[in-house]
Amino acid sequence: MSSNAQKTKTVERYNWLERWTHTFHAIAMLVLIFTGLVIYFGWDIMTFHNARLLHMIMVPVLILTNWCLVPYGILSHGWQEGGIKGIVRHFYYSYIFNMEDFRRLKGMILNFFGKQEKYPAFTVYNQATGHYKTKLHPMFKIFIVVEGMCIFLIFITGIVLYKVDWAFFGLPIAYWLTTIFGWFSPILNMNGLQFARWLHLALTYFFIFELICHAFILEFDSKVFKYWKSIFIDGKEYLDSPVVEVINEEEHH
Amino acid sequence: MASEKLNMIEQFKNLDILKVDRRTFLKAVAALGATSFVSIYGNQLVKALEFSETKVLWLHGAECTGCSVSALNATAPDFVDALSALNISLVFHETLLAQQGIFVDGKLVGTSDLNAEILLEELAEEGGYILVVEGSIGNGPDGTGKINMIGNHTFKDIFAKTAKKADAIIALGTCATYGGITITDCATRKYCDFMGVNQTENKKGGMMQVLGLNKPVINLPGCPIHPDWFFLTVAAVLLGKIDVSDLKGVLDSIGRPKVFYPPNATLHDNCPRRGFYDRGVLDKRFAEGGCLWKIGCKAPYVHSDCALRKWNNGTSMCMQVGGPCIACVEPIFPNGAMPFYVETESAGVLFGVNLGTISALAVGAAVVAAGVHAVRRINKEK
Repeated sequence: MSSNAQKTKTVERYNWLERWTHTFHAIAMLVLIFTGLVIYFGWDIMTFHNARLLHMIMVPVLILTNWCLVPYGILSHGWQEGGIKGIVRHFYYSYIFNMEDFRRLKGMILNFFGKQEKYPAFTVYNQATGHYKTKLHPMFKIFIVVEGMCIFLIFITGIVLYKVDWAFFGLPIAYWLTTIFGWFSPILNMNGLQFARWLHLALTYFFIFELICHAFILEFDSKVFKYWKSIFIDGKEYLDSPVVEVINEEEHH
Repeated sequence: MASEKLNMIEQFKNLDILKVDRRTFLKAVAALGATSFVSIYGNQLVKALEFSETKVLWLHGAECTGCSVSALNATAPDFVDALSALNISLVFHETLLAQQGIFVDGKLVGTSDLNAEILLEELAEEGGYILVVEGSIGNGPDGTGKINMIGNHTFKDIFAKTAKKADAIIALGTCATYGGITITDCATRKYCDFMGVNQTENKKGGMMQVLGLNKPVINLPGCPIHPDWFFLTVAAVLLGKIDVSDLKGVLDSIGRPKVFYPPNATLHDNCPRRGFYDRGVLDKRFAEGGCLWKIGCKAPYVHSDCALRKWNNGTSMCMQVGGPCIACVEPIFPNGAMPFYVETESAGVLFGVNLGTISALAVGAAVVAAGVHAVRRINKEK
């Protein structure tokens, strides 16, 4: 098979589990943001109780997708690539912003301002192994790690807002969290509970910001637009795309 | 819910208060309030205390005397009846005692019956009292304490002398507990250096740490304090229901009795206007009748039982009369509660700019960037 012929081959970019995980993750995030703002602003769109109920339903959906299905995807892909080493390698190349990503991002910025002709390919597919070396847009790699931390923070602040004395198997989790928030809250001249509420709102705004960047800056691009279809519907990757580089390495290093 | 509460109150009306454990005692105190508690158990309290008079030495530092006024406004029992019922000898209280500080040629004259300075010296020498501190303690300028003079003594010295021989200390009001109004951010704050008894704002230590003292301290913040909080705390201490040598289980992390400042609930939970919040009726201006959160009510961040206990002989409270909670029982008061009539989330955080504005700018910039990026990429494609 010629090189060109190989490049036109279609491979699977996102499997069905990844597509459903992403879809549920997106729905949960959107509903949580919307209902959170309804609760905060007292919008007349729906009742407080319905907003709160929807909010509370979507919390486990988000946590299940973000803390169970996403790690499962990382682990299963990595395992297929080569056991424990494969997991570490897969995680590093797929999700951690490294020097290669920095070069790609720099190239993208230069391309945007007309200083570089070629838009750098950010997806690298290894034909020899049948696995991706890296897949995500470099900017999104930054976002995905920050988002993970923000989801953790909004979850723990949410616990305190949900019930100020929430306990799990007798462990006073909410009390501990409020105490921990109280270590940082004096920076903003607040008490622990006040800080938790403030941070919860601040993170909500961050997710709106991130959503716009993720969906409309990174993906609202004629060259990568097809990934909308890929992530939600067919999961296909077209290796002849200008943002994809196909390599032939026996093993990643 | 209401019937459960009534049942609980009925249950607490028939206790042998001298035999119950601390937990039941505190529950009864919380459920009944000072008014009912002392009137129901007055005889038992007197019986328990009839052989043990307790001295209370009440000092005034940097303050407005509002906490004394609030205590004096107690009803059924009133201030005098409560002292009598609890067998308290109020041996010193600057705004109530008859004595004055009398100096002749710079020297104290007369006896403790006439001269407050001599009385205080004698009491401090004797010891064995509960020290009530109302108002913060000035440490400035430069650690001298001279910003806060009473007679020819600094209040810092008076506190040091009296605290040394106290059995326990009750810091009364937010000025005494965390600094309160006297540490409002201003040009002279650092110079005055006012401190709470064992905590200043969120910083633990207070004047006790400066003086190297180690005594049991109970913080009763509030601007002013509720009379119940004071008298019931004193009653619990006198009856041994609060062991001052082991306050850990009774007080929260900032030294307040959990029974009055419940860590597991906020004032917002029991607010009479809570129903409006739940319906999303959030007032934008005063006197609209709904929830006061958007006009600065801090009740969602505040731990106190104001909404259950209520003020003015149990008839009303701040939010009930249209005033947003200003978090006066919290260490952040007043700096972290200001502006009082602006919700915390809308108060300035970064160079005076609030979270909403920062977020609107960020989201707006992202939208513009997305548009520009899309146009640019489409043009490039062509």
